[in-house]
Amino acid sequence: MRKFLPVAALARDERFTQVSMAERMSDPRSTRPGPGEDQRRRPNRLTPARRDAVDAARSLMHGIFVGEVQALEGAGRTCWDFETGTEVPFALKLDMARQAWDEARHVEISCKLADYMGTEIGEFSENTVLFEAACSHDPVLRLAGVNRALEGLAIDVFTTMKEFGELAGDPYLEFCEDWMLADEVTHVKMGSDWLRRITDGDPARRDQALEFQSVVDKLFSYGGVRSDSDQSPIGLARRFRELAGFTDDEIDHVAELSLSALNETTEKKASLRSQAAAAIVGADRS
Amino acid sequence: MADPRKPRAPFAPWDRRELPGAFDVEESARRIGHYKWIEMRLFEALGGWVATVPELDVKMRLGTHCYHHAWHAELWHKRLPELREMNPDRRTVPPNEHLSAFVEALTEPEAPEQTIEKLVGVYRVLIPHTIAAYTYHLNNSSTITDAPTIRSLRLALQDEFDDWRDGEMLIESLLETDAEIERAAAHQVRLEKLMRAAGGIAGPGSIGFGLEG
Repeated sequence: MRKFLPVAALARDERFTQVSMAERMSDPRSTRPGPGEDQRRRPNRLTPARRDAVDAARSLMHGIFVGEVQALEGAGRTCWDFETGTEVPFALKLDMARQAWDEARHVEISCKLADYMGTEIGEFSENTVLFEAACSHDPVLRLAGVNRALEGLAIDVFTTMKEFGELAGDPYLEFCEDWMLADEVTHVKMGSDWLRRITDGDPARRDQALEFQSVVDKLFSYGGVRSDSDQSPIGLARRFRELAGFTDDEIDHVAELSLSALNETTEKKASLRSQAAAAIVGADRS
Repeated sequence: MADPRKPRAPFAPWDRRELPGAFDVEESARRIGHYKWIEMRLFEALGGWVATVPELDVKMRLGTHCYHHAWHAELWHKRLPELREMNPDRRTVPPNEHLSAFVEALTEPEAPEQTIEKLVGVYRVLIPHTIAAYTYHLNNSSTITDAPTIRSLRLALQDEFDDWRDGEMLIESLLETDAEIERAAAHQVRLEKLMRAAGGIAGPGSIGFGLEG
């Protein structure tokens, strides 16, 4: 078995269809509000009150499921790809093995929850950006990209889903999300601790890792899906991020990135609407 | 209630533990260093394979078992300094080059069509040999002087038995044709020969045989 498995070699059964992030997010059943619902600024937080709440929640749960599969694969690959002692400490590998077990349980939980919500495996497509972040040849970048950025996003997602369960009066969903949330806080904490330990005395490497984390954070704020703004379907779980070792400044940085992604999308949509309106006026005149 | 000042035997009538054991401190450390080495190779391989198997149930089992073996490696890592080995890495080695060759062959399969080979190597060859070596060690250790090793062996063995059963059931569920049964058997034979050359996971004498050379 080779070291550093390319994304294209990820093994899947025939139910899975892999698409780009843009294609995945353009699925009208996703948590992003549909074309008819985002014409004005208004709350889009994923709550049972949303008209499309059922499909959006099912879509998000399927996204959690494939994300957990990839997180499991990423943690497993970190156990294999690096030499103990020369490339990563033994204790880091033990943490990654522990994470693999946790992610395996999360796949089990999300399979059962998806089934409970009336979703079949493969009903929604998969994008593999999470695993791509886990393909870096530098273990520190993996920690930054996966444990800090993506597992950080998982904290936000699970918090939103837990609140969704609370609001919907669904203790089953709330219970499961709360357990997964506890694991994710642990994973982010692992990432925060290892990042600081490995880059201790090497500020350039730490900066590079944090920069990579920012890139992944922005990528996963895709179009402002996650931010402090209630226009985003998923909120930023500040309290749990603190528990996971994020400093206030780091949380503010993620908040800024996310808000900037949301604003970019809002501006882009406004511009497209103006162009479309102008085109319609032009067509009427001619 | 019995008189608290009345002398009692240090060992109750039902406590049959004895002092003698087959392994001195040095031999116990040697074996444990080899156990740590093979458990590390195993958890790394299981972790690496997760992304290469398309079967979702197998993927999740490998992820779970990956941690079990990492935890065993940690148990052995922590035991070594207690056996006067202050540099555990020095002992974290294969017993001979034959076991390294075995691990090379074990971890060779990568393609998504080779789940049978991956599982057979682990659950029909390596884990049974691990159970055998741990059982031999357990049954030959002093139940008093080496009680900490015995405790770790028992904890590890419980996982090994559970994982072996999981793995065997997965293999049986995947073998649908005669050709697949032959593939599984051929791979098992190939690895078994390499393991035999190594003498077991701790080298010759892993289960008490083969020491005479």
